[in-house]
Amino acid sequence: MDQSFDDVWAECEDLFTQARSTLATLKTPQPAHVVQAAVNALFRTTHTLKGMAGMLGFPSFSRAAHRMEDIFDLMRQGRLRSTDSLVETLEAGVLALESGMAGLRRGRSEPEDYLSPIRRELGELEALARPTEGGTRDLTSMLDLPPEVIKSLSEYERTRVTALLMSGMPIHGVSVCLEFATFDERLRVLNEALSSLGELISTLPCDLPEDREGLGFLLVVACPALEAASIPLLPTELIQVAHLADPARVPESLRSETKEAPVEEPPTPEPATEAVPSSPGPAAPQAQEVEILRLPAHRVEALEARLMAVGQLRDAASQLLHHVADPSHERSLALMGQMEDGLLEVQKSLLQMRMVKVESLFSRIEPMVKSLSRDTGKPVKLTFLGNDLELERSLLGRLSDPFLHIVRNAVDHGLEPPSERAALGKNETGSLRISASQRGRNIRFDIRDDGRGFDLARIEARGIELGLLKSGQEHTPDRLHRLTLEPGFSTQMRASQLSGRGVGMDVVRAEIEALGGEIHLSSEARRGSLIRLSIPLSRAVVSCLKVRCAQQSFGIPLSSVVRVQAGKQLNRGGDQVQVVGRSMPLESLQACLGMPEPEGQKALVVLGQQGASSRSVEVALGVDEILGRGEVLLRSLPELAHAAGIMGGSPQEDGILWVLDPDAVLGLAMDSLMRRVARV
Amino acid sequence: MRCWVWPWIPSCDGWPVSERTSWIHVRAAGMDLLLSPLDLREVVAAGPVSPLPGRPPGIQGVIVYQGEFLPVLAWEGLPGCEASNLPTVAMVVLRPRLGIPIERMIGTLDLPEEGWLEPDVADAANSWLGGIWVEGDRRYLMLDSDRLMALLQRFRTER
Repeated sequence: MDQSFDDVWAECEDLFTQARSTLATLKTPQPAHVVQAAVNALFRTTHTLKGMAGMLGFPSFSRAAHRMEDIFDLMRQGRLRSTDSLVETLEAGVLALESGMAGLRRGRSEPEDYLSPIRRELGELEALARPTEGGTRDLTSMLDLPPEVIKSLSEYERTRVTALLMSGMPIHGVSVCLEFATFDERLRVLNEALSSLGELISTLPCDLPEDREGLGFLLVVACPALEAASIPLLPTELIQVAHLADPARVPESLRSETKEAPVEEPPTPEPATEAVPSSPGPAAPQAQEVEILRLPAHRVEALEARLMAVGQLRDAASQLLHHVADPSHERSLALMGQMEDGLLEVQKSLLQMRMVKVESLFSRIEPMVKSLSRDTGKPVKLTFLGNDLELERSLLGRLSDPFLHIVRNAVDHGLEPPSERAALGKNETGSLRISASQRGRNIRFDIRDDGRGFDLARIEARGIELGLLKSGQEHTPDRLHRLTLEPGFSTQMRASQLSGRGVGMDVVRAEIEALGGEIHLSSEARRGSLIRLSIPLSRAVVSCLKVRCAQQSFGIPLSSVVRVQAGKQLNRGGDQVQVVGRSMPLESLQACLGMPEPEGQKALVVLGQQGASSRSVEVALGVDEILGRGEVLLRSLPELAHAAGIMGGSPQEDGILWVLDPDAVLGLAMDSLMRRVARV
Repeated sequence: MRCWVWPWIPSCDGWPVSERTSWIHVRAAGMDLLLSPLDLREVVAAGPVSPLPGRPPGIQGVIVYQGEFLPVLAWEGLPGCEASNLPTVAMVVLRPRLGIPIERMIGTLDLPEEGWLEPDVADAANSWLGGIWVEGDRRYLMLDSDRLMALLQRFRTER
């Protein structure tokens, strides 16, 4: 995609963020003026999105945004009330548009209707809110059909659909595929058959699947019930029966009106909100419109350059502080210290401009889970932890799709239906818990459900069937879990509406790995599953202990440093050393990183496993020299340069300071020690 | 999506292919190397490369380029290449974000689409070469950036 559109894409992202945030305010009771302000903002947002999509050359997206804009217009005119179900529908609509926009940015082609998942709901809303120009109520938009099909209905057909729905009659659609040679005769037979079952409202031509030849028709019929079996068909004919509109969804007030006058003047719509008070109460929460400052790409690059310059300036100031040890310069040193602190704050503020809160990602997931829960009939208790953590804005867009795949799988396949859960002694409401936490430079997401877990036996059987595993061999649970990340792997015999087509988890893995991250799956039968995503931030300020080894500088994140010790005795890799009365193995940092080993080292750093409740895994890491501590601006390494034990680097005056990945170094140290033992 | 057709592949119907193609001619690791201008991001002056401890094969370290780390190719890590004693004068930055150290920038060469030799399967450099052009006693080696990136990825994952 043309890079010159970057700013437009970024603006679209901003608009979606605003829209989600504004919709969130409508979820809780608000004063009328707040609701009105929020709806006005949403109307403007969708209007802008429509225009931008048109500018980018995406007509289908533009149409979908226009439809959403119409709904917001109906709300602000007072024709639709802001209810929970309405907000839920609008959230789903915004999510569908956002997801569609992300797809377009990646070069996917436009779908015919972005809003197809909520077509029925939107149709109902439009039908209830908007009378036709002639003042006659029109309920045709309640039909679960693409807008262009509805448009092709004649005036008479529209009147019949409305009247029949208001009188309580369901509307069905029959799609048939007929052969060229006999279609006219067959169509006549079918029309007669359907007319005998109810009222045949319309016969419309329709598209066929690509692999079918013949002519396709959609027959719209109103009758109490319709089964495919009741329609006379020839063996070669393809038929599909769908429920197009449910009269139960027409409000009772309209159905009662039809008893008096089947097609009548619409009542004056009730205002959805109260009149806007001239002066809102002081305690009333306001729908805030955040002013977003957009910068062109070259300005962002300039900002990045400043960020780097500030980092170098701060490092220089820090080094100067360490070199000037004269006590007579105490005042100067104090001032220098203040300057260093100030520069660090500037550096952090500049970094902050790249970050967004994780809740921004979570807010995309919530409406989808609600929708999935409704569609699958599985009640889900959704919990988010770590909403306030921050991640880079660039990651946000790329994580949305993987998360949606994982959550969809968890609800569709992981969680059992309520009856099955009850039989197992579980709470009928399934639990889906998504937590975010920061581990060094990585941000970790745990997606945990309390469902049935992965069926490892089935995965193994499928793996053997696909030739991915060898029969007769023992396969570890980890291997079997990872198998589900292979392209095209699925144990589902039949794809559901939601998932199970065997695509998705490999895409999740590819996306996470492309971000330099890792994915880990685990589960326990009938207890649930855990999917852990670990994503590195491309930049972060990390507090480090600076050390020197083999004429190179290294930083060890302080969160993993248990103790620092320097003595007169030279230690070598494989030695046991005493640290505060405890004996522990020592390995040189050089050996861990595959560098030539030193003769001996006097300094050591005790590394502990990060996040462990007790320091169960600790190793003394031999280093040549302890330089001190400091905060460094970490940059991640490009994929091609990934090196074991190094999580990134920070350019310094005397070269690059390599920041160690403590958990990886612990693993490398243990491996190295094991090899030493094996050699003995 | 645009697709790239290698010069020696006959053009598809309706796909315009010019009769001659321009190549950037450089000297690197003692070889006459041809680079496609389409692969080039920029050529920058050579600076010190920070050696990366535990680096994967084929990568000697990184430089800071546009505020990010840029991996730099180690010619001696590639099959069919040897370390050169000549100083590096410039760094060709490929679009897939890889720095290629070169000893000399010679210029451009316009070469016909026909007459290219396919690299010998037995040639160790086959894994990163796109083709060979022979003129008199000179052999020009075309660097295939896709193959090179795939090779480096394989090195990294197989380590």
